[in-house]
Amino acid sequence: MTRRELLALMGAAPRPLLKVAKAAPDAPTAPVAIAKCASYDGDVTATLATMFDQIGGLERIVKGKTVTIKLNLTGSPGLRLKGRPLGVTHYTHPKLVGATAYLMGRAGAKRIRFVESGWALSGPLEEYMLDSGWNVRSIAGAAPNVEFENTNNLGKGKRYARFKVPADAYMYPAYDLNHAYEDTDVFVSMAKLKNHETCGVTLSLKNCFGTLPASIYGDDSGPDEPNEKPTTGRSAVGHVGKRQPSRSAPQELHFGVNNDPGYRVPHIVADLAVARPIDLAIIDGVESIAGGEGPWIRSKPLRLVQPGVLIAGRNPVTTDSVATAVMGYNPRAERGTAPFQTCDNTLLLAERHGVGTTDLKRIEVVGVTIAQALYRYEG
Amino acid sequence: MFFALLLTLAAPTDWVPARWRWLETKTLDLLSGTPVNCLLIDWNAQQKTEAAAFAGAAMARGVSTLAVIRPGGDPAEPARDAIRAKFTGVVLEGDFSKDVTERVKAAVAPAPLIELTLRSRMRLASKEPVIGTYQGVWPGIPVMEDGAAKAGPSGSPWINTNAGFLRAARAFGPSTIWIANLPPPKNVITADNYEQVIADAAMVGARWVIALDDDLARRMHEGDKAGLQVWGRITRQLQFYEGHRDWRAFRPYGKLAVIQGVEGGALLSGGILDMIGARHTPVRAVPPESLRTETLAGTSMAVDVDAAALTPEQREVLKAFTRSGGTLLTGPADWKESGATKPGQITLGDEETKRLDDIWHDINAMIGRGNLGVRLFNVSSMLSNLLVAPDGKQELVHLVNYSNYPVESVTVHALGEFHKAYLYTPEAPEKKLEVYKVDEGTGVDIDVVNVSATIRLE
Repeated sequence: MTRRELLALMGAAPRPLLKVAKAAPDAPTAPVAIAKCASYDGDVTATLATMFDQIGGLERIVKGKTVTIKLNLTGSPGLRLKGRPLGVTHYTHPKLVGATAYLMGRAGAKRIRFVESGWALSGPLEEYMLDSGWNVRSIAGAAPNVEFENTNNLGKGKRYARFKVPADAYMYPAYDLNHAYEDTDVFVSMAKLKNHETCGVTLSLKNCFGTLPASIYGDDSGPDEPNEKPTTGRSAVGHVGKRQPSRSAPQELHFGVNNDPGYRVPHIVADLAVARPIDLAIIDGVESIAGGEGPWIRSKPLRLVQPGVLIAGRNPVTTDSVATAVMGYNPRAERGTAPFQTCDNTLLLAERHGVGTTDLKRIEVVGVTIAQALYRYEG
Repeated sequence: MFFALLLTLAAPTDWVPARWRWLETKTLDLLSGTPVNCLLIDWNAQQKTEAAAFAGAAMARGVSTLAVIRPGGDPAEPARDAIRAKFTGVVLEGDFSKDVTERVKAAVAPAPLIELTLRSRMRLASKEPVIGTYQGVWPGIPVMEDGAAKAGPSGSPWINTNAGFLRAARAFGPSTIWIANLPPPKNVITADNYEQVIADAAMVGARWVIALDDDLARRMHEGDKAGLQVWGRITRQLQFYEGHRDWRAFRPYGKLAVIQGVEGGALLSGGILDMIGARHTPVRAVPPESLRTETLAGTSMAVDVDAAALTPEQREVLKAFTRSGGTLLTGPADWKESGATKPGQITLGDEETKRLDDIWHDINAMIGRGNLGVRLFNVSSMLSNLLVAPDGKQELVHLVNYSNYPVESVTVHALGEFHKAYLYTPEAPEKKLEVYKVDEGTGVDIDVVNVSATIRLE
């Protein structure tokens, strides 16, 4: 990070007082690519290809491998902000998805599986995508062996895969997820550059909260066994800890101790980052929304924004740290400071788990600089 | 001469009606090149002379004129005056008793009389060429105070519509149905809104009686360019449906039937038919009076809303339906959407809506993800109607978008094998669509839907 970038970032941070955590000196780091991309009508594929080259080349990551890509399709496809297409507000854009599939196919990926735990979804993910206005046939045709799977329940699998938090779990000792997260060589989180009501920002780390199947972690999950036809979100189990997940899955370690969503969700997300590591983070900031994660948010006014950037990296914490800085925030800000006014900082929690560094001085930024990409989400 | 001109006028079933607030003959120029061929004009005894001149000029252009008479005094006399002033017919708008209506009808015969009455008083199963009501909801997506759309139980935005009521009303008989509600006062009515209200009625085979809001009427009268552009959008939307008269012969596609009478709430908006319509499940309304074995031919699921109201013969029809493999959902006695008999009521009350949630749960479970004719994707801001040609070889899917924004990438999965598909929109010529195979039958993609679109499958 250059001095100029640092100064720009400091200028972007809320004033006058910053509560900033100390850096973890030994947390891993990895380069992060930032590219300007003014619109989805531009050459998204070429831009993305350059970015992948800048972080070490896509072939090295995916050749001959099964790749699972977790999308961000949060909230019902029927809920739209001012009637706008979902991809320009709070969903990852289908053109970015198609471009990623194409490039991965070209780089020799053996199988590409797009996954998401769609809101209240028990049917096929393809239909959810069609309801979102996506051309599923076109994405499926972008590369050989493209698949789609709804991970809100068992999906096409026969059993759930258990992912243990290696040590010092914050919330749960392990998580039961759809098989797709296990039956893969490479796990990609493709997120949107957005604020989040509960977590301050939602980027590649927070996107993976959506790996939790509502069949087990949903409000209407079975008390003992999963409910394979979930119809709700994960508020009771995940956000407020009013109940435990289905007993078939590992139970919360300190149930009833903390019911604050601003504590719980960031800690669960940080746990997931070590239980199911992310191999590649891609963040869609071409067009998005500021103020919250979707049109159902009422606590702050939502704004359509056009940051015009794409961000990608091999380490989700370094990538999210850079993305947070691009949004005009300090990625090391502690609770009480924007964007983490009412929540713990997921990035710091993941850093403490040893996933990656949040220290911008230790993160190599390639492509355009943070200062050049800076787009203030706060007012 | 007068009678010769009279013969050139369209038949009442072909009238494309609009409320008209002017008696200046130059305003008839606004109708040039439009399908509007019938004007409803408030009768004013003080303006007999101007009215007669206007009616004559309209007739010379092939435009029918109807004098609108409302309650207050004896309507027979002004009705006679209107016919003497060369009006083509009379509209009684309001709550007139049957006796009065019959008396006026006799007074103006053979000129036509059209009733725009309460929904509950419409002569549903009559042989009248046109029946109508002035009661309607203003179609669109209701918006909350903070600007967000109100969501329905499905999580999708709820759409206010007259479509369910009109589906039900059309099922009673062959009459052409007019819905003559007015634009809500003190609201900005956009061109999109006008197109939506026209399409909301037209997609289920009814006609909205064009009614301009005060601001638009003033601007049109002044020759304001923007106002005339809105009028152009209105008439283009009318032309879209009126230009395809053959579509009127298509009938509702029906693997799912809802058996519901007037007492069971068939004429209320926001009821079961609208709930099913909101999830884009093709549905056919069946009044109990029409319930016969042949009525349910091709139906695999049925919802009997008010079982207690059926006659023993009608119950036998439903028994035979289930014996032949049909699925029947019959609710308890308190299922029925009471309130249909309240004269002013056209939507469900809070209690009825609450009760509908229970009914909806069962209906939703019965329908599941099944394809009952067509499945539509990315249509949360739309309503649709699936129709089938009399020979069964073609199907039409009408789509109406209520969101005021174009919707991109709509996907259609039609049940069965179709080899050709065509897209029709008001703004573009017919377009051939690519058809492809899907598990359920045939898939078709549409790039964009502005306000209305129709897909013809063959």
